[in-house]
Amino acid sequence: MKNQNIVTTAILLATLNPAFAAEIEFSGIANTELSSSIDGGDSDALTISVLPEWVVRFDNGWKLNSTLRLRADVLDHLYPNAISRDAVSNVSKSALLSDHTEIEMREFFLEGEFKNSYLTIGKQQIVWGQSDGLKVLDIVNPQSFNEFILDNYESSRIPLWALNVEQTWGDWDMQFIWIPDKTYHSLPKQGAPFAFSSHEIVPVAPSGVNVQLNDADRPNRFLADSDAGLKASTFIGGWDISFNYLYQYNNLAVLYQDISLLPSGPLVTVSQEYERTHVIGGTFSNAFGDVVVRGELGYFTDHYFISESIAERGISDSPEFNYVLGLDWTGITDVFISGQLFQSWITDYNSSIVRDQVDTTLTFFYRQDFMYETLEAEVLVIANLNNGDGLIRPKISYEWTNEFKTWLGFDVLYGDDDGLYGQFSDNNRLVVGMEISF
Amino acid sequence: MRTLLKNSLLALSLLSTSLAFSADLPSGDTVASNINKRDEGVSVSRLLTMEMTDKRGKNRVRETRGFRKYYGDEKRTVIFYLSPKNIKDTAFLTYDYPDADRDDDQWLYLPAMRKVRRISASDRGDYFLGTDFTFEDIKLETRVSLKDYTFKTLGESEVDGKHCIILESTPKSKKIAKELGYSRVEQCIDDEIWMARESKMWDVKGKPLKTIHVHDIRQIDKLWTTHTMEVKNHKTGHNTKFTFSDVSYEKSVSDSLFSQKSIKRGL
Repeated sequence: MKNQNIVTTAILLATLNPAFAAEIEFSGIANTELSSSIDGGDSDALTISVLPEWVVRFDNGWKLNSTLRLRADVLDHLYPNAISRDAVSNVSKSALLSDHTEIEMREFFLEGEFKNSYLTIGKQQIVWGQSDGLKVLDIVNPQSFNEFILDNYESSRIPLWALNVEQTWGDWDMQFIWIPDKTYHSLPKQGAPFAFSSHEIVPVAPSGVNVQLNDADRPNRFLADSDAGLKASTFIGGWDISFNYLYQYNNLAVLYQDISLLPSGPLVTVSQEYERTHVIGGTFSNAFGDVVVRGELGYFTDHYFISESIAERGISDSPEFNYVLGLDWTGITDVFISGQLFQSWITDYNSSIVRDQVDTTLTFFYRQDFMYETLEAEVLVIANLNNGDGLIRPKISYEWTNEFKTWLGFDVLYGDDDGLYGQFSDNNRLVVGMEISF
Repeated sequence: MRTLLKNSLLALSLLSTSLAFSADLPSGDTVASNINKRDEGVSVSRLLTMEMTDKRGKNRVRETRGFRKYYGDEKRTVIFYLSPKNIKDTAFLTYDYPDADRDDDQWLYLPAMRKVRRISASDRGDYFLGTDFTFEDIKLETRVSLKDYTFKTLGESEVDGKHCIILESTPKSKKIAKELGYSRVEQCIDDEIWMARESKMWDVKGKPLKTIHVHDIRQIDKLWTTHTMEVKNHKTGHNTKFTFSDVSYEKSVSDSLFSQKSIKRGL
């Protein structure tokens, strides 16, 4: 918050000084979405969000971008009480106006050219990768899982205070990022509609065993616990190629388990700790006639998996390859069809790890535009082959005017409770929404 | 019978007049070549207002800022959406290569995803972001595609009081026709400035598809410049009007605008 005040004051002073003449643009979006459970689950929600946005353009070419988000959940099932705020740093936390309402500085950054560099300084989103729906390299910013992965990218990605420096070296675009903001994935609290329960993600204590969940041990050293990354990208011979490197804390806390025997019985103490990993990867894309081929690969030196081994404190550490290969096809007018193969491969696997060594997910996306892109129908299918679970999301949206849009859709999660998607199979819902822009 | 005879004589008379004119007309290839030789400047910067109206009168307006620059025979074009809010910051980038065998490279930045997406250049017959212009129409602007069509001059006519040559363009193959969405194009080419003042398109089944009317053509920085293009789609009753303003061929257009990082950053 202190950083915000400094930058805000600087900008106000700058705008008051005639030497730094600026023009201010104002716009915004207000939307509301009603989710209604269709199988007796607990996923009813009515959320209202207002996002005013200011862009201050200075005469020297620099811009200040700021976006606020006022968000309320009228039915109080999803937000903000249902989500843990422990993973969010103090400088990035939203302000709770009531149990149902929060206000947040979503983005606040200055951007512009300085010598041979393009700088973006402040709270921002840094997006890497080529995949849709599932993430391999789009991990620079953490994510809110308040609605699992059902919320849109823009809303669920958590912006971070960061320095982003871009330079051009010959045919290569270089990006250096430094992120002192220690904010990680926000997860729903136990009991919330989208709280994780899959054995692959959270440990499950045997019946009769008491469990104590300790607070997360968040990294707190300003410099030493920062994340940093580098991306080099180019366009060569028709191919878009990037090489990515990120040194970060895994965005998901590792849940170490320690068992002790007390007079009252056995006790499992779960400690939430954040662990470092190096991420080395790359992306590619090219178009061949009607088909666009794209893919990305990420090698994580240290990923942490739920294990049945007490000796390992219930966690096994292994490198992991995540990769995705996608094909987009546009052979029919106004139709976009996309398929992706996504795999995760634990290279140092042992049998105590709860998850399979290779986890395979397929995605299919179909969209068709009608009436000059005012009416849009789409369906997204995500199917995990290991657990036989998945997600089906049909949606239809209509743009009544430039400023008013409505949509209707279904979120259908199916499969076994142990699966990433199947764990929420009781939360199938009908979604109706509208958006006004101004 | 008398009427039929009269009509037949009139038709014969018109045919012979047309043939006489055709003999004096430049060939289709010459007209096409003259159109493409017209000086468009090395680069241009301009505001473009897109106004779309459906048959019920529902109206949508979009403001964009566009840039185009030639690198030898290679043309690069970028369009940034400025308003309304629901499409603001969307941007479209094209590299159009002179080599007929090389597909264009195209990218679209979608702010909702915050990603630059590679898009297939074979979508060229698709309508461009809700307008009545196809991706190919947008790319060609006022030029014609020598690699896709065979050309023939049909006669002479007049549009907005200006003399013009009627140029018929026929796709070289059914595949190309299907890609472009046109089985035939007939344009009225102003032979003083070598610009189309009116273009009529027929769909792949040979039915009238749309008519583009170009007006308010005037010189900016000594180059002939279209300021208004109106297209009416005869099949859907939908209309699109493009209005160009703040056009400059002399304003410096940075090479860095025609890059993926540029469409991601926006203006």
